[in-house]
Amino acid sequence: MSNIELREISKSYGDVEVMNDINLEIQDGEFIVLVGPSGCGKSTLLRMIAGLEPITAGDLLFDDELVNELAPRDRDIAMVFQSYALYPHMDVARNMGFSLEIRGEKAQIIDQRTQKSADTLGLKGLLDRLPKALSGGQRQRVAMGRAIARDPKAFLFDEPLSNLDAALRVEMRLEIAKLHQRLGATMIYVTHDQVEALTLADRIVVLNEGKIQQIGRPLELYQSPANLFVANFIGSPTMNIFDVKQVGAELQLVNGALIGMSGGGAAVSFGIRPEHIAIVAQDKGHVVGTAEVVERLGSDSNIYTQVEGLGQVLIRHHGNTELNIGDKFGLEFNVSAAHLFDSDGIRLTLDK
Amino acid sequence: MSLTTNKNFAPDQKGQGWKIFKSPKLEPFLYLSPSIILICLVIFVPLVIGISYAFQSISLFRPSDTGWIGFEHFEDIYQDRKFYKSLRNTFWWTFTSVILQFSLGLGLAMLLKAGFKGQKFFQALIFLPWAVPTFLSALTWAWLFNPVIGPLSHWMFALGILDEPYNILADPSIAMYGPIAANVWFGIPFFAITLLAALQSIPDEMYEAAAIDGASKWQVFSKITLPFLAPMIVITVMLRTVWIANFADFIYVMTSGGPANSTQILSTYIFLTAFKKLDFGYASAVSVVLLVLLLIFATLLLKMRQKFVRVN
Repeated sequence: MSNIELREISKSYGDVEVMNDINLEIQDGEFIVLVGPSGCGKSTLLRMIAGLEPITAGDLLFDDELVNELAPRDRDIAMVFQSYALYPHMDVARNMGFSLEIRGEKAQIIDQRTQKSADTLGLKGLLDRLPKALSGGQRQRVAMGRAIARDPKAFLFDEPLSNLDAALRVEMRLEIAKLHQRLGATMIYVTHDQVEALTLADRIVVLNEGKIQQIGRPLELYQSPANLFVANFIGSPTMNIFDVKQVGAELQLVNGALIGMSGGGAAVSFGIRPEHIAIVAQDKGHVVGTAEVVERLGSDSNIYTQVEGLGQVLIRHHGNTELNIGDKFGLEFNVSAAHLFDSDGIRLTLDK
Repeated sequence: MSLTTNKNFAPDQKGQGWKIFKSPKLEPFLYLSPSIILICLVIFVPLVIGISYAFQSISLFRPSDTGWIGFEHFEDIYQDRKFYKSLRNTFWWTFTSVILQFSLGLGLAMLLKAGFKGQKFFQALIFLPWAVPTFLSALTWAWLFNPVIGPLSHWMFALGILDEPYNILADPSIAMYGPIAANVWFGIPFFAITLLAALQSIPDEMYEAAAIDGASKWQVFSKITLPFLAPMIVITVMLRTVWIANFADFIYVMTSGGPANSTQILSTYIFLTAFKKLDFGYASAVSVVLLVLLLIFATLLLKMRQKFVRVN
């Protein structure tokens, strides 16, 4: 158990700076998810916290103690790798107890601890198997069991679910959530999957091009993204973004339609989530569109709509829809849920 | 004429002669026959002839006295003091060479894996001993040990290893170290290159996981690196042991088994018996004994591999 603090951390490879000015304070017992597109530096950041990657500048503190120069073995953290990194020549029990074996614990204690974490993860009958005799999901469990058995200060997860199939991923996501509730340990979790981020995290850190874009609780990111990148990255399907210009007191879309909002002069982009557009009669609503593709998902329908002068707009309709391809209808934007962004992509706070 | 439809007993009279070749057990071997015949001619036949010599009297100095003599050679071997001396020397020569080649080769491989400035150059340089013909290397080493033209005995004297700078190849108690030194120099590249390849195939994540699990450098080496290398170690040690036990070049050129048979190993003994004493029968008998010993060794090592090696 510990709190972790990152102060102005940066990382360069030679002259290439891949990460700069990372500030983050992680509370004891918090579940932090680092999320971002591939190449954004999230794994590098995790590896710097683990001690596998040297920190170029800045301070990394565990419980207010500087650990920049500490070797991974002295940081007392556990890590679950994407490829699991199980030792192929050791059976499951020895894999899980390896860190204890290294520490020179008594065989009895090692046995007790591995048994306990095997119970937690439902690995009881597999303790004497070699990793090659396990399925992907079981290997993933062993990798987690290895982390649990050593009772570390913090757990680090590096995209632990990305090698699993969709059904197993949902199952293991739930397991990790339960595990965090039960252990109450500090966990840092790297993923590119926003669903994992939104479901698991206490707080999400959105990274792009080596910079923190926003730190916040999952719904905070969804409801008030700090900038265009976060707006685009969080939420599925993604937000519709349109160019706007100020005409008089109102904002106008490029096809001339007024949207009944004032941008205070600074707004250049208008963002509206697919679920915040309502389908209305042709003569009502802000613009008129034609359904191009209708995806029926049962609980929801995604309607890809062509709006003249504006391009494609995605609408998410709750429940099933009667619409067919080629149908014309009006689109009404729920402006109270819409977002405006200035020319730097920063979200403007509206007085509604 | 019966009307059976079984194609193996087809009523086609012309096909009767070929029926035997159509049998499903034999047919695959017919397709393989060209290579099987070739292998038999090149390997099997000479091997059988060679082994058969062990049971015959074939000595060019006694041309009239030729013929089958049963186990007489083996009875002679049983009482041959030179044979036992050579056998002891063979063990000493083989295991000292293999152990030194292996440990120095492994060290070199780890060094190359770690990487340093000019590594590519050294990696190429390491192959050099293999590019030199063994007889030339043997001569060079013999000269290096010769105090008249070589520096080694002077250096050893300066370091206090020798009382005076003399040729160690002439001292029966330590002459074996000469060919062993040459052999170690010659054999390190083999281990370095093969073990380097095996080292490079260990995933980096194994080391990272071990680092996070808290392993020290020595623990990483003994608990991660060695188990991963084990399959390669078993195979290379087995191959090298068999080669070195049979490898007569260095000893023949540097000492010819002398002085006083102090560096005589079984393969030089066989060579000298066959081509100096021209007693092919006795040489073959000794070869058969060496063959059996090496087969036992290889079997033991492969059994050990099954038991200990878990990384595939």
